[in-house]
Amino acid sequence: MDARFTALLAPFLKFSDDKEITPESNLRELGLDSMQSIELLFAIEDTYGISLPDDELNDATFATAGSLWDAIAAQLPGARA
Amino acid sequence: MTALDLAEKADQVAHVAEEHAAHTDRDAAFPVESLAELRRTRLLGLLVPAEYGGLGGTVSDVIDLGIRLGRADMSVAMIFTMHCQQVEAVVRYAAEPLRSALLGRVGEGREYLASVTTEAGKGGHLLSAESALHGDGTRLGIDRFAPIVTGGQHADGFLITMRSQDADSPNQVSLVYAHRDQLDVSGSGDWQPMGMRASHSIPLKLIGSVPAHQVVGKDFKEISTTVFAPMAHLGWSAAWLGTAAGALSRVLRLLRGPDERRRFDVGSELLLTRLSRSRQRLDTVHALLRRTADTVRDAPDLSLPNHQLLLNALKITAAEQCHAAVNDLVEAVGLRHGYLKDSPTRLELALRDLRSASLNYSNDRLNLADGRLALLDPEVRFV
Repeated sequence: MDARFTALLAPFLKFSDDKEITPESNLRELGLDSMQSIELLFAIEDTYGISLPDDELNDATFATAGSLWDAIAAQLPGARA
Repeated sequence: MTALDLAEKADQVAHVAEEHAAHTDRDAAFPVESLAELRRTRLLGLLVPAEYGGLGGTVSDVIDLGIRLGRADMSVAMIFTMHCQQVEAVVRYAAEPLRSALLGRVGEGREYLASVTTEAGKGGHLLSAESALHGDGTRLGIDRFAPIVTGGQHADGFLITMRSQDADSPNQVSLVYAHRDQLDVSGSGDWQPMGMRASHSIPLKLIGSVPAHQVVGKDFKEISTTVFAPMAHLGWSAAWLGTAAGALSRVLRLLRGPDERRRFDVGSELLLTRLSRSRQRLDTVHALLRRTADTVRDAPDLSLPNHQLLLNALKITAAEQCHAAVNDLVEAVGLRHGYLKDSPTRLELALRDLRSASLNYSNDRLNLADGRLALLDPEVRFV
């Protein structure tokens, strides 16, 4: 996870009480709801200039900061297929 | 033939259809490139049993293909599913020697079949015919005008409804196969409709004669109940659903895309509600389509009023809802992407194409039939 990602994530996690975001951070428990998921998705796609595949747009991807980062990392230039 | 193979073939045809959709629509021209691809992939023989060299597919496969092709071009999807309707009639009812010869050619992709059921003065009414077969017992004479024959100029063969030889009334109808070489085919060729322009559904005059064994089946009423009507409603509905699904998908991709999502407010409750309504309409049609297809596959007697009601409900619902879904999308995205021809959403074409759905075997007439059928089932027994 890079710093841009955690900075981008922070405003969506209203219950995180400024605790450090780790790969295990549970996004839903920390305040991400389904209406915000789409805004977060767009923010991610704009920030990294990527597009997440349709098949990745599910609860499992948005479960934790780590699972969401894995989906992003897979789309970044130089990612292993 | 696995589902994957079929999906791959469907993608190949859809790719060609998409590539040519703009000019076939502009010129109201038959999609010859897509037909060539349907021949090359052998999808023309989708319903031909493997023993005759076909792909041995099912009606459910026809629906999958109808939806897939509809996403690319409604006219191509209609042309394909209507051809499959004709092939299914041959598979179920044609006797030897016609059966092997014709199915063999279809299986090789050499025979595209057009349907000749319309006739001046009776609209699309299937179960009557004015022009009568005449003959000497060994050959049957055909002299028939049809105001609308989809793909008639490009068909290799025709299944034609004619008044049976020696019939006492127009309600005694025979279905006759004729190869193009057996007919003198002439037509005015003028076709300038609002939509489904690439279906090239022109008036044709067919004159010729065929051997008596080219009559398909004995009782056209039965063919109509078991094949023609159900395959028409399933195939058309699949084509319409695919058209609307393709339109919705392109709109969603646009809204999701990096450029347009800055212009649209995806938090807008009006936009979200419109997208929701559009998607609901399509899920409703899809559920009804699959449910009706299961009934067509499994029911021992499709002539029962509640079965007929289900089939007609599919056609009426699909026609209304697929058009309404795309109309919602036009409102949702506005002038630039909802009304202009060059928008990547292609809503303008989809809406014009889908406007034909309620008129194609008119919903008004089906509602009259359904009103009568409803009275025949006072208990309201669902299938």
